[in-house]
Amino acid sequence: MSGGYHIVVCGGIVPDPLQTLEPAVGPTGPALRNEMMLPAVLDPWAGHALFEAANLAKSQPGSKVWWVSMGPKAKLQQLMMSMGQKVPFELVALDGSASGFTESAEVAAALAEAISSIPDLDQSRLLLIGGWESASRGAGSTLQIVGERLGIVDQFQGVDEVSVQEDGSLKLLERVEGGKHQISVCTAPPIVVGWATGKLPEPPNNPQIGMMNMRTVMPALQRAKAVQVGTGSLNFVSVRLPEQRRSTRIVKDATVEEIAQEIVEWIKD
Amino acid sequence: MNPVTEIERQSFDVDIVCVGFGPAAGGFLTTLSRELLNEDGTPRYESKVMPGMPLQISCYERADDIAFGVSGVATRARGIRESLPEFNHNDISMAAPIKHEKVLYLLDPIGASRRPASLKVADRLLGLLKWLPFYERDAFELPYIPPFLRKDGGYVLSIGQFLQWVGSNLMGSGTVTIWPGTPVASPLIEDDVVRGVRLIDQGVEKDGTPTAGFMPGMDVRAALTVVSDGPVGAVGRQLDEHFGLPEGNHQSEWAVGAKMVVDLREDVKLEPGTIFHSMGYPEPEIFGFMYAHSEQTVSVGIFVPSWFNNPARTSYRYLQHFMMHPYFWKYLEGGKLRSWGAKSLQESGKRGEPFLVGDGYARVGEGSGSTNVLSGSGVDEAWTTGRILAESVMEMLDQGESFTRENLEKRYVQRRRASWVEQEGRVAEKSRDGFQKSFVKGLMGMALSGFSNGRINISGNSHSGRQELPSAEAYYQGKIPAEEVRKIREDCKSRGTPSHDPLMDRAGWPQIPLDGQLLVSQQDALLMGGKVQAAPGYADHVVFLHPEFCESCGDKVCVDICSGQAIEADPDSGVRFDREKCVHCGACFWNCDQIVDDSGRTNIEFRAGAGGLHSAEN
Amino acid sequence: MEKILLLAFTETDGTLGKPGLEVLSAALKIREGLAGAELVVGLVGAKVGPAAGQIVGCSPSRILGVEGEHFSQSRYGTDAAAAEAICKAAEATIILAAGTARANRVLSGVAHRLQGNADTHVCGVDVADGALKVTRWYYRQRMQAVLQRSSRPWVIICDPSSFAPWTGSSRDDAFEAVAVPVPDSMRTTVTGTQAPASGAQTIRPDTEVLFVAGAGWTKSQADGKVKVNEAEPLILGFLDLTKASLGGSKSMVDLAGEGQQVLSFMTHLNQIGQTGATPRHPKGLATCCHGEEPHAVGWRFINERRAINKDPNCGWAQGKADVLYVEDAFAVMARVNELLKESK
Repeated sequence: MSGGYHIVVCGGIVPDPLQTLEPAVGPTGPALRNEMMLPAVLDPWAGHALFEAANLAKSQPGSKVWWVSMGPKAKLQQLMMSMGQKVPFELVALDGSASGFTESAEVAAALAEAISSIPDLDQSRLLLIGGWESASRGAGSTLQIVGERLGIVDQFQGVDEVSVQEDGSLKLLERVEGGKHQISVCTAPPIVVGWATGKLPEPPNNPQIGMMNMRTVMPALQRAKAVQVGTGSLNFVSVRLPEQRRSTRIVKDATVEEIAQEIVEWIKD
Repeated sequence: MNPVTEIERQSFDVDIVCVGFGPAAGGFLTTLSRELLNEDGTPRYESKVMPGMPLQISCYERADDIAFGVSGVATRARGIRESLPEFNHNDISMAAPIKHEKVLYLLDPIGASRRPASLKVADRLLGLLKWLPFYERDAFELPYIPPFLRKDGGYVLSIGQFLQWVGSNLMGSGTVTIWPGTPVASPLIEDDVVRGVRLIDQGVEKDGTPTAGFMPGMDVRAALTVVSDGPVGAVGRQLDEHFGLPEGNHQSEWAVGAKMVVDLREDVKLEPGTIFHSMGYPEPEIFGFMYAHSEQTVSVGIFVPSWFNNPARTSYRYLQHFMMHPYFWKYLEGGKLRSWGAKSLQESGKRGEPFLVGDGYARVGEGSGSTNVLSGSGVDEAWTTGRILAESVMEMLDQGESFTRENLEKRYVQRRRASWVEQEGRVAEKSRDGFQKSFVKGLMGMALSGFSNGRINISGNSHSGRQELPSAEAYYQGKIPAEEVRKIREDCKSRGTPSHDPLMDRAGWPQIPLDGQLLVSQQDALLMGGKVQAAPGYADHVVFLHPEFCESCGDKVCVDICSGQAIEADPDSGVRFDREKCVHCGACFWNCDQIVDDSGRTNIEFRAGAGGLHSAEN
Repeated sequence: MEKILLLAFTETDGTLGKPGLEVLSAALKIREGLAGAELVVGLVGAKVGPAAGQIVGCSPSRILGVEGEHFSQSRYGTDAAAAEAICKAAEATIILAAGTARANRVLSGVAHRLQGNADTHVCGVDVADGALKVTRWYYRQRMQAVLQRSSRPWVIICDPSSFAPWTGSSRDDAFEAVAVPVPDSMRTTVTGTQAPASGAQTIRPDTEVLFVAGAGWTKSQADGKVKVNEAEPLILGFLDLTKASLGGSKSMVDLAGEGQQVLSFMTHLNQIGQTGATPRHPKGLATCCHGEEPHAVGWRFINERRAINKDPNCGWAQGKADVLYVEDAFAVMARVNELLKESK
């Protein structure tokens, strides 16, 4: 499209998925044990969204990417050290909880307000992009509500591909049941896109992009608005680790033939 | 020609580039960053590469996060506290002031360790003293701790959490940038002048072949390159290869340190800040520690030194036996593994010091020979060398001096020579030589050097060459018949597995009763405690220079010592490397006994590599 | 007094699919548990009459419907408008829906329009002491929470396969049509679906067995050789014979970029676990998998689990599988395939 897109990526932080996670009782409700000590990473699906956004911006001259992220400021800063080298963006930072136990509607309200406050953002060119779910709350709610708050009713979730057609319309592939993709065409922005994985690999670290981003990242962090988000009307009766222990029968000394027969019988049972 | 290889290598300029973010870089950047702004907030120094902008300082860290370092830290923190007058341990998770200090001699309750005759006699004599109050659960507590070992007024730290705190403050200051996940491949040396560094290539296959996403590692050019990449860092070692070491210095003594962070069971009472150091078990050559952090959490670990001459040496299983020693098991039983890691230690200390400076570069930290091998202390020393360099650099900036070897000698090296790091390093220089002869002589040597301030030392065989290891058959002589050792080794080789487990089993070590919580298989430790990860798109950083040497190598010490079981024996190629399991401890290259040239270089090249541990608690 | 709405999107033939019938079971459980609660059914689709007849046996107090060409498409704008209109018409305080792609796309947004809240991926409902509690997972199936809400309306979107489908008598029945204002110009048009390439293996929720291929298939085997060429026909053969779903760990779909040999038919759609799917199948067979939490979350929702692995201490299986066969998966799967062929 002429003039390019205004792409706003919503992407939060989650604990590095490799870490051991245990629930704990925090001052305002459930929390993770040692939450502030856990290394943070960009939410994986939001990561795909960011990389796809940057790719789209690159292919559509005049486009610009804003990354709106809410999390404890120190954690966001740490995340920027690793993500800042990947793709060019302008950060809009909100200093607030990144907990999965918060109410998505409250998070959405804060994000929507921050997006509305971005100077010169043109809603008629807006692609609002994020992960279709987070690796923390895993609800797939926040982005929809941000879209609703911004009055966007062309929304797509579980998207693996967005392409700009010759007539300027957008073709989107959404994951649906049965391993299939639903194909939709939307004539023009604004749209909301909840990304699944897409096809792009993680971009390499580029120190020059890092140096360029840092000029806006540090001021954005310094002026990050403190936001209170809580559990809203949610009452957590319990949060616990699942009972995982099964009594595993270990078959050590059986022959291949015996094992194969047992498996086939079990499958057919 | 493949079009991807034609992609131009990009280059950009900064004023100062720092290689590796550990304690030394922390000390350097913290000290420097505090002086980079005038009182009115304007930059004190102007960038030469970007006129009108403040000084451009970038630090590149190999690991995926600045908090993914490994060290067992009980430190006096003298240098750290001097640099950070506002230091408050409550600001840093897992930090605790040191309250109680114990040094233990551990008896062998199993009878499987290989103890020399003199030690067996000593053990028997000590056995007669079990009625003393210093005896508890097969361990003797030293009633007196020599001052050179004491950590009075210091702190127990998690190096990961400490560096995270330091790094966050640094980034928050806005004066420096730190980039994790960015390994530095090599220094840029032009006519013996270091002009900056080259980052590693991305978008390549394991063997370095470019793929569609190829991005040649950028050149980061800088007037000053601060080399703080630790004992096994690629840049430091390439500088050593290029410039050599000062006459008489050598880096032939090493250790691999392995540690676990453990959550203790609820009923264990251990005051935060209690630290234990031990010797004597699981093998006399292996030293151990346990440090109580805050909140029911301890770090527990061992050091397996290069002078422990078992060719089937391992750190993982010995650590498990150490933890199960009755003295420590009282605390650890029922605990839960939270984190695990390993690193190499440059145990030559002052004697391993490289050229500290040259045109365009300066060395700080463990790779610069700052570790004190007598007090077993390295973090505070490394930090302090960084701090000294920062003070020197500021003087040079104030005076408008360029970063020539001569100027850096005058400002940095002289200041370092006058520092406590140097003075104490000299005391420690020969303190461990006795261990080259025997464990008992080693202990006596440490005591003599320590009490005499380094004036009296027990001489040893410390030499520039690599220490020869006996064969496994020779090591286990008297414990396992040679023919059986050979059979076990061959069997393991054909299956690609390390031989230490069956050899230790046969030598009388009981099997570890895996409980899935604290005592887990080494593979599970990678996933539960180590959380090891390697992003695609990078070349293997462990490279076997001459595969034919590996094919004919009998010992394959690299397979046994590998902390992550990332190196396996391979019937075809001798050995193979799996980057996904590597914790980047670097033990492979100094344990390799295939020497490829006169410089003592081994057949394993340990290059800069991405990935590794994802644990912020070590 | 709670007014429960079962909100469902009908299939192309106007009937209610299995996920909708499953959530109807949950709705009835809640109606039974909450004194004085009533159940309304709301249906959206190209046509909804067959669905209305299908569920009338559960004695809903009302059946509301929105139908027409506009609602044949699974599209946010029209679906959200329809759902909003039905919820308002029903004056619902508790809204239950099956977490299909279509419902998941719109219902959190609809909850916002209703000034309510939504909880998605609910996998259990319970009523105790007159209070409704729902169960859902947090942090990618790493921990489970039981929730209550003090505010209404409360939109509860349930994961498919969480409840047994309702079975009851059906008869032709009418529904109350709810008018939905449709914008003059819809900017989005659904043009169709794209099935995976012919022969591609994906996670199919409706199959009995999930076959999990671990990284071990692509690693050096006992003789030091990588045998991906042998692994591929073994796995594909099994999938063909059993029509099982295929899942794999993240490393299996990531390794291609590293120049490592990979199973050519694995894509991100096969990924299970921490950053992939956690599918629900009655049975799961894991082969050559190794790992601890979080790697093993991929088969959190598999009822019966068996594993083939050469390491008896494997964290993927110990305490997590019902049976662990300590054997070479290449040999076992080859024989399994032969036996399956023979028995056909």
